[in-house]
Amino acid sequence: MSVVGSMNTFIADLHDLDRLVEVARSRYSVYAPVRRGRGYVFSKIEGMSDTDLRYNRTILPPTKIFHRPKEVLLRFQLADGPEFGEVVEVEPMMIFGVHACDLNAILRLDRFFTRRFEDPYYLARRRGSVVVALNCNGPRDEYCFCASLGTGPTVYGGYDILLTEVRDRMFLVEAGSEIGANLIDEARFRRASMSDMEAKKAVASTAKREFRRYADFRSLSYPVIEVLAHTVWDEEADKCFSCGNCSLVCPTCYCYEIYDTLDMDLNSGFRVRRLDSCQLYGYAEVALGGNFRKSRKARLRHWMVCKFGGAAGGELSSCVGCGRCIFYCPARIDITSVASRLREAV
Amino acid sequence: MLKIGLFKFSSCSGCQLSFLRLNEKLLDLVDKLDIAYWVMVSDNDVEDSYDVAFVEGSISTPEDIYSIKDVRARSKVLIAFGACASFGGLNSIRNYMVQKDVEKIVYGSSGALSVKSIISYPIDFYVDVDIYLGGCPPSLSDILEVIKASILGFKPRLPDYPVCVECKLSENECLLVNGEPCMGPIIRAGCGALCPSLGRTCEGCYGPQADPNPNSLADKFREIGLSEDEILCRLRKYAGMHRDFRGIAKL
Ligand code: SF4
Ligand code: SF4
Ligand code: SF4
Ligand code: SF4
Repeated sequence: MSVVGSMNTFIADLHDLDRLVEVARSRYSVYAPVRRGRGYVFSKIEGMSDTDLRYNRTILPPTKIFHRPKEVLLRFQLADGPEFGEVVEVEPMMIFGVHACDLNAILRLDRFFTRRFEDPYYLARRRGSVVVALNCNGPRDEYCFCASLGTGPTVYGGYDILLTEVRDRMFLVEAGSEIGANLIDEARFRRASMSDMEAKKAVASTAKREFRRYADFRSLSYPVIEVLAHTVWDEEADKCFSCGNCSLVCPTCYCYEIYDTLDMDLNSGFRVRRLDSCQLYGYAEVALGGNFRKSRKARLRHWMVCKFGGAAGGELSSCVGCGRCIFYCPARIDITSVASRLREAV
Repeated sequence: MLKIGLFKFSSCSGCQLSFLRLNEKLLDLVDKLDIAYWVMVSDNDVEDSYDVAFVEGSISTPEDIYSIKDVRARSKVLIAFGACASFGGLNSIRNYMVQKDVEKIVYGSSGALSVKSIISYPIDFYVDVDIYLGGCPPSLSDILEVIKASILGFKPRLPDYPVCVECKLSENECLLVNGEPCMGPIIRAGCGALCPSLGRTCEGCYGPQADPNPNSLADKFREIGLSEDEILCRLRKYAGMHRDFRGIAKL
């Protein structure tokens, strides 16, 4: 009879997790994957019945909660001496059920938004947040390829609480921070047994062997002529719509644009930040109509090379293998097959 | 005071109605805006000059050609107001039929004798246009943006990216990926992805985005099972006359 589990490893079914959500809701808004049509979105939930922990992926990644698709940065008024007022919308948040790929993307954005300057808007939301990560027991579907990039399917750090489905809807629960430990404490879970913990190890070792999609982006991030001049770019650009869907759903794409909007009094107004995409014609447009990436091919190539790790963001904007851009590309352009074509040439 | 005029050619008046729908928003601007010509709401005579002319409708009769040139001559800034003025709009679907047949369908055999209609063109076929406001009708926010920009004398900030951007930022599922013939990837944003957000495909009323790829969309439509006729109908519906779509819409 195994009685000695680990001191801070627990076991929970969906009812137990419901208690965790209830405890958390007294302090946080809890966001989790919620069904929308055939897809999922991270939205506020009230209990476990609102969410589905077997979800494949959300349309927008959970990074949207910290780096908003659209937000007001400040309000201003111009007459009688200009005045500015910062607008930061913050609420304490728990992000529940984050996959390894998306968690790694959040950790990269953390570094990106503190690299040289601190982004106060991102940090205000991120600092007070709690992340409940969820291990994957294998690829969620045929689009996942985290295993070959080392960004999943198992989570190693960066969470407050980690869940692993060790048996049918039974979850091993581990704390990764003091806040996480306290929440688990209040939710009063049973301690995990040795066999529960063995089961987690077994899940992790089989999970990574089940992937059928594979990508190797090493050696593609350098601006070598074999990559840049490859004919695959012409072929794919013929199909590409320049719609931006691929980058708008990418958890490591952070590019944004900023613009001002005036109220009807033509005196006061506000400044907006909105997610942008290098696939859009206007992205590289400068004064007097100049444009650094006029051709669709140049834009598509730029985006993929960035995801290989070759743009200014380096590793921080590179791919984590979540599969969103492949699934949501209406032209069926597939970064993994483009990469394998390129790798034959380098 | 910004002196504006609203002029109508072949159209349904829906764009002008949208202007009316600005309602109390216009009240904020009463001391900055002089609506000097607008047949729908007042019987003021035509004046010598306007700072901004909003022109609704496509050009489809010989008299229209004369009138649009006259409006142009009187106006400092000319705005193609809505899909018909900007790209030919719904009116232009008759360009793909024999003119006499269309006249008979619409006016009957006897009425058709007194009608003189010509190919329905967007206004920029005859005059220079300064600002294009696509949409059937244009969104209130786009109308307000051009009014504000005109008063202040700067370039309005109108999206040139595709509907997909607004659609994805609203976190909609993709209809096209799910096999429905959405025009979103090749159509300019501005509507806030109104149709896709309600589960309906984008019909294309804002006209082409900055760098559209209609050939690839036609291929995609074939892949999801549309006939050649259905593909042509979708491409012709609002903006088949636009240079970006003309080749594939086969005028
Ligand atoms: S890419 Fe990996 S971590 Fe992300 S959902 Fe798929 S299996 Fe899980
Ligand atoms: S490039 Fe594609 S697969 Fe990689 S992280 Fe971005 S959306 Fe996911
Ligand atoms: S690769 Fe696909 S999703 Fe990305 S811009 Fe091109 S068509 Fe759109
Ligand atoms: S539903 Fe239409 S507008 Fe929305 S992303 Fe898909 S193709 Fe674009």
